Amino acid sequence: MSVHETKVHEEHHELSFIQKYIFSQDHKIIGIQFLFSGLIFLVLGGVLALLVRLQLGWPHADQGWLGQILDWSPAAGQRMSPEQYNTFFTMHATVMIFFVIIPLLTGAFGNFTIPLMIGAPDMAFPKLNMMSYWFMWPGFIIMLLSFSLGVAPGGAAGAGWTSYPTLASIGMPVGGGAESPAAPNSGWGQILWLLSLIFVGVSSMMGSVNYITTIINMRAPGMTLFRMPLTVWGMFITAILQAFALPVLTVALVLQTLDKTISTTFFLPPGVLEFGNWTTNPGGGQPILWQHLFWFYSHPAVYIMILPAMGIVSDVISTFSRKPLFGYRPMVYAICGIAGLGFIVWGHHMFQSGMDPRLGTGFMIATIMIALPSAVKTFNWLGTTWRGNLHLTTAMLNALGFVALFVIGGLSGLFMAATPVDVFIHDTYFIVAHIHYVLFMSSLFGIFAGIYYWFPKMFGRLMNETAGKVHFFLTFIFGNMTFYPMHLVGAAGLRRRIFDPTMTGFESNVQFLNQFMSVSAFLLGAAQLIFAVNFFYSLFWGKEAGRNPWRSNTLEWTTPSPPPHGNFEVTPVVYHGPYEYSVPGMEDDHVMQTRKLEGVPVGAGH
Amino acid sequence: MNRLWSILFGVVMTLAVLAFVIAPAMGWWLPENIGTFYGVDTLFYVILATTGFFFVLTEAILVYNIFAFTDRGEKADYSHGNHRLEMFWTAVPGVLLLLLAILQIRTWEEIKYQTRMPTPDHVFEVSARQFEWRIRYPNAIQLDRITSAWQDKSEPALARNWQQFPHYDDVHVVNEVHTWKDANVRIYLKSKDVLHSFYLPNLRLKQDAVPGKTIPVWFRATRANTIYNEQTREWVDRYNYEKKRFDSSLRYDLACAELCGWGHYKMLGRLFVHPDREDYLNWLKSAQEKQRQTQAQ
Ligand code: HEM
Ligand SMILES: [Cu+2]
Ligand SMILES: [Cu+2]
Repeated sequence: MSVHETKVHEEHHELSFIQKYIFSQDHKIIGIQFLFSGLIFLVLGGVLALLVRLQLGWPHADQGWLGQILDWSPAAGQRMSPEQYNTFFTMHATVMIFFVIIPLLTGAFGNFTIPLMIGAPDMAFPKLNMMSYWFMWPGFIIMLLSFSLGVAPGGAAGAGWTSYPTLASIGMPVGGGAESPAAPNSGWGQILWLLSLIFVGVSSMMGSVNYITTIINMRAPGMTLFRMPLTVWGMFITAILQAFALPVLTVALVLQTLDKTISTTFFLPPGVLEFGNWTTNPGGGQPILWQHLFWFYSHPAVYIMILPAMGIVSDVISTFSRKPLFGYRPMVYAICGIAGLGFIVWGHHMFQSGMDPRLGTGFMIATIMIALPSAVKTFNWLGTTWRGNLHLTTAMLNALGFVALFVIGGLSGLFMAATPVDVFIHDTYFIVAHIHYVLFMSSLFGIFAGIYYWFPKMFGRLMNETAGKVHFFLTFIFGNMTFYPMHLVGAAGLRRRIFDPTMTGFESNVQFLNQFMSVSAFLLGAAQLIFAVNFFYSLFWGKEAGRNPWRSNTLEWTTPSPPPHGNFEVTPVVYHGPYEYSVPGMEDDHVMQTRKLEGVPVGAGH
Repeated sequence: MNRLWSILFGVVMTLAVLAFVIAPAMGWWLPENIGTFYGVDTLFYVILATTGFFFVLTEAILVYNIFAFTDRGEKADYSHGNHRLEMFWTAVPGVLLLLLAILQIRTWEEIKYQTRMPTPDHVFEVSARQFEWRIRYPNAIQLDRITSAWQDKSEPALARNWQQFPHYDDVHVVNEVHTWKDANVRIYLKSKDVLHSFYLPNLRLKQDAVPGKTIPVWFRATRANTIYNEQTREWVDRYNYEKKRFDSSLRYDLACAELCGWGHYKMLGRLFVHPDREDYLNWLKSAQEKQRQTQAQ
């Protein structure tokens, strides 16, 4: 789009408040909407996690005080019931994955950064973009409604975020109501869970299509693919992953919904199942089919939850090391490698599922090899900081935290990728440790890095650095105290998803650590208040940021903060890659991508 | 003073290493392995050593970089990378990972491939349901016939028949897995309702039970823990034969490892390892006797 057109766009659309901030088609506002809803659900997901930890730490203590706050039904007595516990961990994971991490990384950062970083005035399809956000809302509302006992008498879904049949999928015969013979909270709660995620999937799909098109079609002059910042690369590959994997999840969700509501038998095996005195009609499907479909999406989904964070972290580290990103092209190839391999490893979640063990061998080899691009990325981050000139801003600290902790999550993946070791640690806390190192300690630190980094661009004001550093310090310490011991209790064999961890000999051995982790988790939760206060305080009273507070190179920093509708006053022209820091012979230690350099060798993206 | 942040990273990462050093002494570690899948533990330690090495290496470099290059007071080096270095740190881990992948295949085959499972000395069926393990043992004569028909590792029709068509004189027990020391056990694992997972931590064994499928599982327990108590006339576990006394660490739990509903956490059983076949058959006979009495009532 030319300068002229951009101007026209601005002048002729006087937007009402609703068009500007609610049903906005501006990618920046949509990004910020995703940011706010993601952060709000982070609170809900966090509270659910603390309930889970409360139970695990003190499985026999009186919880009457809590029952009064949460208004538990009198029948439940003084404690949460095992069903409620199952609901809590199921909804914790569901909310965190589908309402927090994915929307924050792709919805918030993807929307906000992609057009700005490639020099486009907006997304390719602004209206679709708006719909992508508003399709989340039916999902939000349905999921929240399922907590209401009036709507779902058996409670919200409680069959795990993986919702394996037949526990999740079994329904009554047609006309028999929506209760489930397998579990009270697999009734309406499960149906609503399925419907909600269908909406979320549609939303993500609309986002993906938009991101791919925008990145392919709308790059500013001179912005070749290999001059794109890694954040954009991360978003690009993530969008492609989503576009290919999501339809499979959607199909699976629809099939399970049919199984539950009109007694189809896609996931019901031939032969009769017995639930008490009640028996099912023989089905014609397989419970394991769901696992294949689910993981065919959900394994790529775990990369959907990390690749954008990796991109963000790469940008932050290069900026604050004042040094070009080490190995730009290998970094891009590593992202592509992870994405490609990511499609042929889903079976590593199913080593013990009863799938043919020979298939397991194949999945094992692919899974082990996926650690390679992850390792390459880590080495390149280290290479970037090596002999840099590090500025430890809060954003940088969070990015360095990401690197330090992603190493742990990646390395623990190797234990589980090894099929024989997985026999022992599958479905134990070792897996839970892995999940939380990659998702909480990595993705969330990446999200924090991104928020501290782009907050000034989003809102025109800087977040408070001192409060930010205290927040990082405490999160880093309490986070490790909460999740690191999970490796040990996992090695001791502690099962995941259990209501009472003191029932067996091998599990009660580690109860002390369970309590230690619970206390740490409460402290970790409390430390997030600092972030919340800082966020809202800075929104109104933060220091004015100016265009480029971090002296970064990428295009978003050439615009005013916050950028106006249409983003760029003049369509930018790009002359070199995004990471030209500390170019020899120049006084300044950074060179905006829009600045042409004569006579100075500029390396990246040659 | 910003470089002091390296201390935070350094201390936390050092503690992370120390945690693995003290954990075994604190009992937060792999439970005793009384089976023959030593490969699981060996591989665990091999991976622990390898990942430990790379962990220390990468974290040390990170901590050093934060310490040495924070607010350096001079311009950063201008470098976009190093082709040879990239080749090096792609190829070396690549080869190591490939080795790791190949090395473990045998242990996996040993545990799970039906064609590799040894000829059994002991056969029974485990049928999982919410929230208990129902176990069906062939009576002594039937067991004899099944195991002697079993040749060349391949399953005889007799066994398959017994598995598909329960006999009236089978012995049914709930939540108690009985075997004897050094017996090759073959289990037919089934589920009547939802997914469960048959998990014996002390044998490094885990296998999901799937409705609609019969999955073969095998193990061999090499340490006995069960003795006949003359007073109560019952067989009890946790007996240490070497020290000739009871020892609570010899409790071998059976647990369900796959979420199966509200009672998942308490879907538990015990593994009883008798000192020999004879002792097992004695128990079997008494269990059969009990079953007859309850049926007669
Ligand atoms: C170095 C690369 C990685 C390897 C080798 C690896 C390997 C594995 C394996 C084998 C499992 C299944 C374990 C089991 O259930 O027995 C697993 C589970 C999981 N991984 Fe990874 N992983 C890697 C990186 C990641 C990343 C980057 C993420 C996300 C950002 C991730 C997220 C997860 C999650 C969420 C689960 C658990 C799902 C569940 O059962 O609830 N992993 N990983
Ligand atoms: Cu996976
Ligand atoms: Cu279970």
